[in-house]
Amino acid sequence: MYFLYISDSLEATKKISLSEEELVSKLKSQDTLAIQALYDMYSGALLGVISRVIQHTEVAEDLLQETFIKIWNSAGSYDNSKGRLFTWMMNIARNLSIDKVRSKDFKNSNKNQDIENNVDFIDAQKEVTFNEDVLGVRDLVTSLKPEFKIVLDLVYFKGYTHVEAAEELNLPLGTVKTRIRMGILELRKNFN
Amino acid sequence: MEEGKAYIESGILELFVLGQLTAQEQKEVQAMASSCPEIRQEIVAIEIALEKYAMQNAVKPTVGLENRIFERIGLIATASHPEAKVIPLNAAEVKINYQSKIRGLRLALVACIALLVVSVAALYSAHSDLGNARDQIASLSLDREKFTSTVNYMKSNNSDLNKLVAMSDSPDWKKIKLAGQKNPNDNMVVYWHPAGKHVMINTTKMVLPANDKTHQYQLWALVDGKPVDLGVFDVNPDTAHILVNMKEIGEAQAFAVTLERRGGSPTPTMEKMMAMGGV
Repeated sequence: MYFLYISDSLEATKKISLSEEELVSKLKSQDTLAIQALYDMYSGALLGVISRVIQHTEVAEDLLQETFIKIWNSAGSYDNSKGRLFTWMMNIARNLSIDKVRSKDFKNSNKNQDIENNVDFIDAQKEVTFNEDVLGVRDLVTSLKPEFKIVLDLVYFKGYTHVEAAEELNLPLGTVKTRIRMGILELRKNFN
Repeated sequence: MEEGKAYIESGILELFVLGQLTAQEQKEVQAMASSCPEIRQEIVAIEIALEKYAMQNAVKPTVGLENRIFERIGLIATASHPEAKVIPLNAAEVKINYQSKIRGLRLALVACIALLVVSVAALYSAHSDLGNARDQIASLSLDREKFTSTVNYMKSNNSDLNKLVAMSDSPDWKKIKLAGQKNPNDNMVVYWHPAGKHVMINTTKMVLPANDKTHQYQLWALVDGKPVDLGVFDVNPDTAHILVNMKEIGEAQAFAVTLERRGGSPTPTMEKMMAMGGV
């Protein structure tokens, strides 16, 4: 349990980071080091997705917990030929969040909020943690053209299908598809 | 390749990565990706872009959520947390401490038993030694008594001898030899101090047959022809004193000894006249 020694002795200032291959291998062999590394590397990103679907902090963090448990229990079903590990985890987090939002007990509670205001709400309420390794992060996010950003955020962060997004934004389905692609291409260009 | 480029530009790969496709459509994309590396690379590029986008929109979880999650997954229970490590170590140490204490107590108990056995043996030995010592003391005490009596005897003898020497040298003492009447070898000596009226006999200078238990010799003084009793004495080899004091007499012409019944007689039995001597 070397990593725990490191992380505890440095009071969690030292985060675990493993390569994709190591992560997948350790996760499939149910090595607990994998879940620690996954948490250190991706808990913020996954909670970012969950929090944009569900604003209630406690419920969102419960969902993050459920997400990690499902990642741990479903590790055997992950196939790296079908996609990257993060994509797989992201889909688990998003699907759990959408299932929760649509569940009867959640709808009956006061925890839900008008879905249209979600993104702005999150950015106002949460401490959004940016990756310090990437320069000009705030500029990049804001520089993404608003017509691309709103479509991408609805589909990627909030779990809208592209059909739902088209209806929501009152846009043709083809335009939504194009804006999704253009938005991602803009991201790729900025990251490169 | 043209087909691949057109496929990429259709935007289906983005929808694939975003999980927007049906199961059937997903399988088609996967088939395309496995046959066309260019499509595969494009998918990965889209994934990485969205991954980074998600990273930039990360929300920091509450501190402590990590432990809750690990607890749920059972990491902490499987002793991967330092605390979980420390407790069994302490428990083991405590166990070791107890074991060493118990071992120490056992040793102490064995030592106590050994000491007890040694003590009992020593006590028994001391007891028998004490018995021996007591016997020795008794023996020594007896010896001492014998020695004391011997010393007393010798002192007495010495005193008597000194007195004899003094009596022989003194003109006040008369030494009267009594000659045997029954047997010419019999004889004895009487010392007499007329002024002091003292009469003594010397048992060492006495040759008379030993008397039995029912008889005793009796000394008489003849005063003006009449016998006067001067007391009885025994003749035996174990006589303690050399000099024996007899009854006092201030005036006598002769001394005689008769054998009388034990205790003496008021008048001498003339047939039993053993010795006699004149002054």
